[in-house]
This record gives sequence, structure tokens and C-alpha cells, in this order.
Amino acid sequence: MRKNLKKYRAPYLFILPFFLLFFVFQLIPVLWTVYISFTEWRGIGTPEFVGVRNYQKLWIDEMFWESFFNTIIYWIFGLVLIMAFALLIAVLLNSSLLKGRAFFKTATFLPNICAAIAMGLIFRMLFDENMGLINEVLAIFSVEKVPWLSGMEYSKIPVILLIVWRNTPWYTMIILSGLLNISNDYFEAATVDGANVFQKFVYITIPSIRAILFFCSVTLTVEMWKVFNESYILPGPGTSNTSLFQYMYESGFNVFNMGYASAIGVFLMAVLTIISLIQFMAKRKQGEL
Amino acid sequence: MKKKMFLGIALGVSVLLAGCGSTASNTGDAAGSTAESSGAEQEEAVYPKGTVTFYMNGNPQYRQQYFETWLEEHRDIAPEVEVEFVQVESNADAREKVTMTSLAGAVEDLPDAVFLDRLNLMELAQGGLLLDETGFLTPYIDKMVDGAVTEGKVEDKIYGLPDSVRPQLLMYNQEIFDKYGVDPEQMTTMEGYIEAGRQLKEKSGGEVYLSWIGSNDMTWKCWGRRGLMPQANAKIWDEEGNVIIGTDEGTKLALGALDTMYSEGLLMRVEMYDPAMYDAVNSQKIATFNIGAYWDEFMRQNCQVTAGQWRIMSAPVFEKVGKAGAPVSSYMCLVNKGEDTVYQGLIEQMWYDYTFDAESRIAWTKSMEEQNAPYSNPISLEMLEDDFWKEPSDYYGGQSFREWEAKTLENGADNMIVTPQDAEGDLIISTEIEKYVAGEQTMEEAIANMDANLKAKIGTAQITK
Repeated sequence: MRKNLKKYRAPYLFILPFFLLFFVFQLIPVLWTVYISFTEWRGIGTPEFVGVRNYQKLWIDEMFWESFFNTIIYWIFGLVLIMAFALLIAVLLNSSLLKGRAFFKTATFLPNICAAIAMGLIFRMLFDENMGLINEVLAIFSVEKVPWLSGMEYSKIPVILLIVWRNTPWYTMIILSGLLNISNDYFEAATVDGANVFQKFVYITIPSIRAILFFCSVTLTVEMWKVFNESYILPGPGTSNTSLFQYMYESGFNVFNMGYASAIGVFLMAVLTIISLIQFMAKRKQGEL
Repeated sequence: MKKKMFLGIALGVSVLLAGCGSTASNTGDAAGSTAESSGAEQEEAVYPKGTVTFYMNGNPQYRQQYFETWLEEHRDIAPEVEVEFVQVESNADAREKVTMTSLAGAVEDLPDAVFLDRLNLMELAQGGLLLDETGFLTPYIDKMVDGAVTEGKVEDKIYGLPDSVRPQLLMYNQEIFDKYGVDPEQMTTMEGYIEAGRQLKEKSGGEVYLSWIGSNDMTWKCWGRRGLMPQANAKIWDEEGNVIIGTDEGTKLALGALDTMYSEGLLMRVEMYDPAMYDAVNSQKIATFNIGAYWDEFMRQNCQVTAGQWRIMSAPVFEKVGKAGAPVSSYMCLVNKGEDTVYQGLIEQMWYDYTFDAESRIAWTKSMEEQNAPYSNPISLEMLEDDFWKEPSDYYGGQSFREWEAKTLENGADNMIVTPQDAEGDLIISTEIEKYVAGEQTMEEAIANMDANLKAKIGTAQITK
């Protein structure tokens, strides 16, 4: 061991800063969170050990389960819509027929650099039941006012739209970088063989960027489970729009129930670990990892 | 040579340390002497150079103006002291920041004082993060409006210097009532209030709503905790901290009244503070607000179109109970920074003058009026006698808002018991009310769910006196 350390001193030294930061800012807080989840603590004084009480409370807490299912909805819709739109826009941006590509690339990326809270406020005005633009437009077609954010039926739609609108550009750029790396020879050969646009897309484009799509789906999954800004700024009645991450924050910093918030955090961590493992296992089964 | 250099460095370091030590001890003396003394003695203390930091929500920049002027006039005791107001989102946000800073051990980064409500004051006081102000405040209690210090007390010690005590009152648009021939006088009782709403709805063909209701937590905060619940003498917890909201008659009375108004279409569904709310007020769709006096500043800032149309009266009472809404108190709490507590005496002096010095307070209030900025009535009984606090307000058609703010404190209901579990309790209760407003459940179901969830998630609350 000591011999190895001496032999590889330089590489170990190079990776040391990462592990130091990881240890101090990630591993210790994670272990601390797990410990706090077994205590009752209001942020002041000494945490009082309560065993698995916080986890039992999760089981009976309707607001927690509603937040959990909301997050699943955000995850599924986010994953499907963002991936679909990102792929579509990336393909369009990569098209040789497109003129003024630099402009369109910049315009596409704009939603991602806009502040989430500012955009959330604009969405809130757009979807306002009484004077929002969306309802004003619907009124032209004699559609009655829709309680977008004040009813529980439609309240998640503005949140999902905001999530998709804000996140699509980022993934578009990642996919576009993958598309730019596909050799043009494949497409030329396919043209010679008589393949149409759709066939080229399915048999050349998709397989060539499969690894990038997998990377996007993993990072997007983590992002969707951590949704906070969008649901926070566009609240629905009760916990109808609350994400799990938001509920954890509110339990910790509005209600000051740090033990319970930590238990939610541990649950969230477990869910993300399981989902990521499933994704990696599926990929391995396909022989791609 | 090396020895000489070492000696030189050692000498330099020791001189520097001595200098620091002397500064620290001076600082400590100033703080210590002012903390222990009062009145004339305090004025003799000279405070060290630095910044007095406050955490406050709302519009702290206006309060800062008072304290900056005050410091300019007191340069003899604070020649190099500045004041800084940090805006926080809410009382809970202030508490979070203080708690987290303290937890991180960054005591020097803590504010010197923070403005809090009962719930957050109680938590920070119990955590030892606030200074006990009992000794300083006791001589002044009789000089302030009733109940000014009540919510600042924890286990018989006073941790908050009262900043404001603002009543629940009824604002109504006289022009709307005149237009439809509805008598506002009937709104002295809750039963009459609802009846006035029915008449407005009928005579306006459903164009005018009695008031508002929203599908976020403001409905519980404005209509519930500070409004109808105390007015109906409703209770969430009993004396032992057990959940009783499901069986409490007061709760049924309070939330039943809200249910009657909403189910009969007397309340417009619109969110508090949203532009749509102000738009509805400006277009004369909302006729009344049964709300805390703080709402005045939002009306003046956002609803100038209806200036001169509004009037004030006491909040309607339930005939069975006979009490108006509960006043909302805010406290300036001094933060316990241990050895870094330097400006305690100075802040106490600032608070004293803000509370009892008529001249400076009136000058500041006039400046606030010129800027259309928020201000509240003083809590000093003597100051309230001054005619200035009875001057007519243009916004209220010549009626004196300030005079009515004082008057409406007279029949205020007691505030509901506040427990450390109330932040969680409010979240549970508000969630059920929001679902009710969204049409997902009846009020009976909402109350039953509140009861069940409070019992399941909290069980017994800790009653702190």
C-alpha cells in the first residue's frame, strides 16, 4: 500500500483536491443527513434521537405522497417532452438547409439563461385565472375561464410547460454536439442506397448518438427529481404542485423540522440511486456499457 | 542577524496583539456599560465604529431612514456607527438565516436585531439566540397599548421590543355601497356582513363581490389565523396541546362563515398581492376587506384609482362572541451575539425614541406619507393622544385611518395560542383550506382532514406560556 502510494504519489496528489472537496462538502453532509433523519431537531440545540419515527411519519403523510407522485409526473413528462423537443430542435439546427444557424442557436439557448424565478412570474401572469393572457385568448374562442393555477385539475400544466421550456435548450445543445460528430459519409452512403430522411434519422442519427441520449436521460432524471424553482413559483392549491425537493425544503426551512426534512432527503437519495441503477443495468444488458 | 529579525517580528506581533486586545476591551466596556445601565447613563456611552445590522421583511428601507436620521442626530454617542437593514422574505426566513448563521458558528455575521412575530420569536428565544429585555422594557409597559408585550413573552421573560400592534379592521368601498344602495352599517356583525354581500351580489347582478378568497396560504393567514378564527374564539389546540380543531365550535363558526360566503359566490377567487387582485379592486369588483391594518399600504400603493372611495370600520363580530379580529404584533428582537453583542444599549435607545419620541416619529411619518410608504401607528399611549394621529386621510375620504387603527384595537380578540408546532400546523390546515377553495372537498371534509392530519403528524403540541 505504502509502496503504491509512493509510486503513484503524483497522480494521487492530482486527484486529492476532488476527494477532499467531495469528503467535506458531499460525503460528510450526506452522512450527517442520514444521522439527522433519525432525530427530532428544529435547527437549534441538540438533536434528539427518535429512531425511525420520521420514516414512520413519511408513511402516513399525505402531503409527502402527493409531492412524491407530483415529482414522478414532472419526471415522466419532463423526460419525454424535453428529450423529444431537444432532439427535434437539435436535428433542425443541424440541418444543412438552415440559414442563419448562429442566430437560431443563440435564440434556442435563451430560455435556459433566463432566471427561473423571473420566468416563473411571467408564467404566473400568463396563466392567471382572472386576467392571464392564456384565458384571454381562450375567451376569444368562447372557452370559459380555466383555473390553471387555482384549481387542482390543471395546475401542473404550467409547471410542466415551464420545466420543458427552460430545460430543452440545454439538452438541445448536448444532442447537437453529438450530431455534429456524426460523419457525413454515413448519410451520403445511405442516400446512395436510397434511404429517405426518416430512415436516415432512425438508422443512422439515433444509433450514433445513443450514448449521448443515455447521458441526457440520466442527468435529466436527476434534474427532474430535484425540480424546485418551477413548482415553487407556480404553486397550486395545497400540495397539488409541490415537488418532493420543494417539500423537503419547506419541511426544513419553513416548518423547521430538520429531522423530517432529512428523512425526505434520504428517501429522495434512495429513489435516485435505484432509478440510476436500473438505467445503468438496462444499458449494460444491451451491451452498451 | 536572524535573532534580531525574530525579536523584531515578535515585538511587532505583540504590539499588534496588544492593540487588538485594547480595542476589544473598549468595545466590551461600551457594550457592557450600556447593557447594564439605562436612561441618562446610556447616553454617555460611546459606541465603537461599526454597522448595526437589522433583518426585517416588508419594506425595511423606510425604517432605515428613521434610524439613519436618528444616528445623524446622535453622533455624540455613535460617531462612526452606521445602520444597515437587510430585507428578508418573511419572519421564517429571518429565523432561518439567524439559525443557520448561528449553527455555522459565524456569530460575528449574525444581525444585531431582527424583526419577528410570536412563533419565530418563541423558537429563537428558546434556542438562546435572543437577549432577555425584561429589565429594560418593564418600566415602559404601562405606557404602551394593551397587550403590546404579550406576544413577546416566553416563560415570563420578554424577548421582543414591541414594534407595532396592528388591528384587524374592515375596509369597504363606500362608492360601491352607495351605487347599489346597500347599507354598510349592517356590517358591524358577521351575519350582517354576509347579508351585505348577498345584497351586493343581487343588486349588481353578480358583478360585485363582497371580498376575496385565494387558493394559496394567504386565505388561512388572512381569513383564518388572524381573522375569523380569533373572532369566533376558535381553537386548534386545547390547554394541554391536544388537537381539537375537528370538534371545536368556534372553528365551525369561523370556517362555516367562510364556507357560506364562498359557496354563495360572495367571494372572488383571486390571489392576494397578485396584479389581478388590484385590478379587481380598481375596477370596483371587490367591495370590502376584512383584514389587518397592514393592507392599507398595499391599497395606497396599488389602488390609487379608488382613492377617496374607501372607508374604515371595526371588523364585524360574531353575535355569539362579540369580538373583532386579533391584532398582529411585531417585535424588534436583539440577537444574542455573545461577546460580539456591542450595540444592545444603542438599539434600545433607538427603539425608545422610535416608540416614545413624538417629534421624530411624526417627522418620519410625514416623510412616509410624502413617499406613499408604509408606516404604522405608534404603540405609545401618550403619543396616540396627539392630534396628528387623528388627522384625516384623503385615501379614506377624509376619515382618519390612523384614528381608526387605534380605535379598532379596542375590541380585539385574543390571538390564538401559538405553539412551536404551529408552522407545521399552519401548513396542514392551509393545505386543506386550499383544497376546499379549489373545489376538491367540502368545508366539513376540510375540517375533518385538518383534525386527522394534525393528530397523525403532530399529535400533541407543546404549550409555551
